[in-house]
Amino acid sequence: MNNLAKFTIGIFFTLGMAWLAFVVGARSQFGDLVPTSEVLDDDGLVPEDAELFPVAISGMAKQGAEEYAALGCVTCHTQQVRRVEAGFDVERGWGKRPSAPRDYVLQEHVLLGNSRIGPDLANVGLRNYSDEWLHQHLFEPQSIFPSSLCPPSPFLYQQIDEPVITDIKIVSNEVTKETRYVRPTVRANRLVAYLQALKQDYELPEVSFVETEDVSVEEEDVVSTDVSTVSVSAPKWLQDQIDTGKEIYMKASPGGGMCFACHQQNGEGLAGQFPPLAGSDWVLGSKERLIKISMYGLMGEIEVNGVKYNNVMAPPGIPPGSLTDDQIANVLTYIRNDWGNSASAVSAEEVATVRASLKGRAPMQMFTSAELTTPIQ
Amino acid sequence: MPADSPDKVIDRSAKLVFSFFLSSAGLWLLTAALLAYVAAAKLTDPFFLASYEFLTYGKIKVAQANAFVYGWGGNSIFAVSLWILARLSQAEVRGSVFLVVAGVIWNLAITFGLLGIMDGHMSGHEMLEMPTEVWPAMLISYLIITFLALVIHRSRQVRETIAPQWFILAALLWFPALFLIAWNGLEINPARGTLQTVLSMWYGQSLVWLWLTPVALGAAYYLIPAILGRTIDKYYLAIFGFWCIAALAPWSVVHHLEGGPVPMWIPAVGTVMSIAMVFPIAVASTNFHATAFLDIGKVWDSLPLRFVIFGTLSYTVSSYIGVVFSLPAVAKITQFTIINEFHFNQRVYGFFSMIIFGAVYFALPRITGREIPKAAKSFHFWTSTLGVLMLLLAYLIGGLTHGVLAGQPSLPWSSSVIQTIQPYFLITKFAFIILAFSQFVFVVNVWRVIFPNPFVYFSANNKEASV
Repeated sequence: MNNLAKFTIGIFFTLGMAWLAFVVGARSQFGDLVPTSEVLDDDGLVPEDAELFPVAISGMAKQGAEEYAALGCVTCHTQQVRRVEAGFDVERGWGKRPSAPRDYVLQEHVLLGNSRIGPDLANVGLRNYSDEWLHQHLFEPQSIFPSSLCPPSPFLYQQIDEPVITDIKIVSNEVTKETRYVRPTVRANRLVAYLQALKQDYELPEVSFVETEDVSVEEEDVVSTDVSTVSVSAPKWLQDQIDTGKEIYMKASPGGGMCFACHQQNGEGLAGQFPPLAGSDWVLGSKERLIKISMYGLMGEIEVNGVKYNNVMAPPGIPPGSLTDDQIANVLTYIRNDWGNSASAVSAEEVATVRASLKGRAPMQMFTSAELTTPIQ
Repeated sequence: MPADSPDKVIDRSAKLVFSFFLSSAGLWLLTAALLAYVAAAKLTDPFFLASYEFLTYGKIKVAQANAFVYGWGGNSIFAVSLWILARLSQAEVRGSVFLVVAGVIWNLAITFGLLGIMDGHMSGHEMLEMPTEVWPAMLISYLIITFLALVIHRSRQVRETIAPQWFILAALLWFPALFLIAWNGLEINPARGTLQTVLSMWYGQSLVWLWLTPVALGAAYYLIPAILGRTIDKYYLAIFGFWCIAALAPWSVVHHLEGGPVPMWIPAVGTVMSIAMVFPIAVASTNFHATAFLDIGKVWDSLPLRFVIFGTLSYTVSSYIGVVFSLPAVAKITQFTIINEFHFNQRVYGFFSMIIFGAVYFALPRITGREIPKAAKSFHFWTSTLGVLMLLLAYLIGGLTHGVLAGQPSLPWSSSVIQTIQPYFLITKFAFIILAFSQFVFVVNVWRVIFPNPFVYFSANNKEASV
């Protein structure tokens, strides 16, 4: 201990032993892993023509990884699914199987992380989030999960007054329900490309999918946005409203509207019994009237496009009168934009305003045509 | 003019260097406190300063850890190590100019490093997040300082070395070795896949165990006997404790990889070695506390020693808790939770910083010849104690809650798990405010002694020299 040289050798020897194990030893053990096929043949070789995993991510996604690292996302998000005996990760639906060292060999930035204030992201690309959803989450996580602690990243977006098809609709979760449209910058698009590329959806010779009877997916993670139906004629958010509205129009189970039963799938109604929606002066006219009918129903005589009908329309929804503001907004937007109709969209805020103005009205008290054609103060 | 005692001559030789490193350390401590507050505030209100990209949570949190470890930790290590080595060697500090120049480079490197992190050039390696461009400057300036520390040690009057010297010298020498290993494996010959993580994790954790920890232990081994005027009880165990840390600590840190995508032997070895760490912990604890409790009244009366004993008690408790949390059955719950914050803060605030505070309060009056008011020190002690305990309890209880709730897959993540632990973030925010206040008092205490009259400092010095 008194000779500095001997002392130095001693302390470097103890450090060197650990270095030999964790740096040199580990490197020689798994430093040369390469992509391989999901299963090996009988000789333990990669079968010819087999697809190799993991696959390299796109250039865009690689740039996204740089953004992810630079913004410090790794501070709160891990990218590793722990072995079944070491954690709850697979049960939580964070991956189909534990992560293996081979999953990471093609990544330039290996960002396993060690803290989970946010959920694990090793398989975020498998969770069916649409790009739009991820953008909404990046711009303002609280617009999706009100209690999220994830920092908003408004600096990755441009606020837009006149939205076009690729812009993202943000409805803030505050009381005001303020609606904004934002345009993603190239950096935001890179990040989303990277997140969508994060998936361990293949098996490897060393690890296979975990058999679970019921992989419980978190309620808040379920997103049913069908990206394939994006039409080029309508902005994406509008198309979403129309699509969801159509589902409600056609749905004959709780939570649906079952509108098609009377007004028919083609919106033509039934002559003499149920008025048409296609080309209807009521549907294309005042939004307020439509909203009132969607909440309380309608009875008695009504004149549509000059033809008189006399029937009863119970408050729509299953159970009757159960449609939420969002659902009413969506289904009205749908009927105003199908079968050749084209009129402005109805927003949930507008529905909420009408609902507030009808506060005193008894539930299920159907409107009459007369009531709706005379303005109510 | 009577001849000065040797200690006085040594203290005078260390004055410039000690004052320089300590005042820089103080500024870094305040920087880290500010960043810690911003980070904590962002966890209680995500919209706080959200529109500034350079202040986004991920960057601020990392900048705070780096400012704390390299800025405050590095500078205070230089100050305390150089002075203790000089005192124990009975040799003067030489090359003050080089030390200050190297210190300026070190501080500039960290400043640019933190700015780089905030500007989006974070490297993503644990505790090496500063952009690679500043690494050479850090290493070179560090090597200059270490070389001059070794010069002091080599010119010692007494050949026999004692525990404080082993711990401090080992820490000074381990850091560049760790740094070079990490640099080589992450940037020069970058390893592929999760090898990177094994290495950066090993570096980040070893930094605490092989750099901050030994310096604080060495300072405690020096201060307790020096202040109490008695030898360390069961001193013969110290050498065993030292080599146990040297041999076990670099192995034990990898238990944090439990369950992850690395070969299973790595976390398994880490866990075994963590359990073996009870030996060095017990040795240090016995040495410190058996000595201190022989004369507990004196410990209480001496504020520097009160800080030191708070630190050693904290070391003992935190290290034993660390052993428990390394067991796979416990790690299953606590891994990836905010218990990590508990460990980090326990080690850097509750243990390292408290001992450094004690060392500074002991050394500064001897070096500058000016006393710090007892009330100011006492205020600093009590606010620190309150802040640290509040912080650690919040992270500990919050972390256990976090782990237990996260382990129930039916609970949704943000609306249940995270919402439940959010009140604990509010407590940590208040704790960081108290700590910032406390550290401000510390820095004012230090600066008032170093620069009693800041505007005439140099002329006053000249007068002193001419007398």
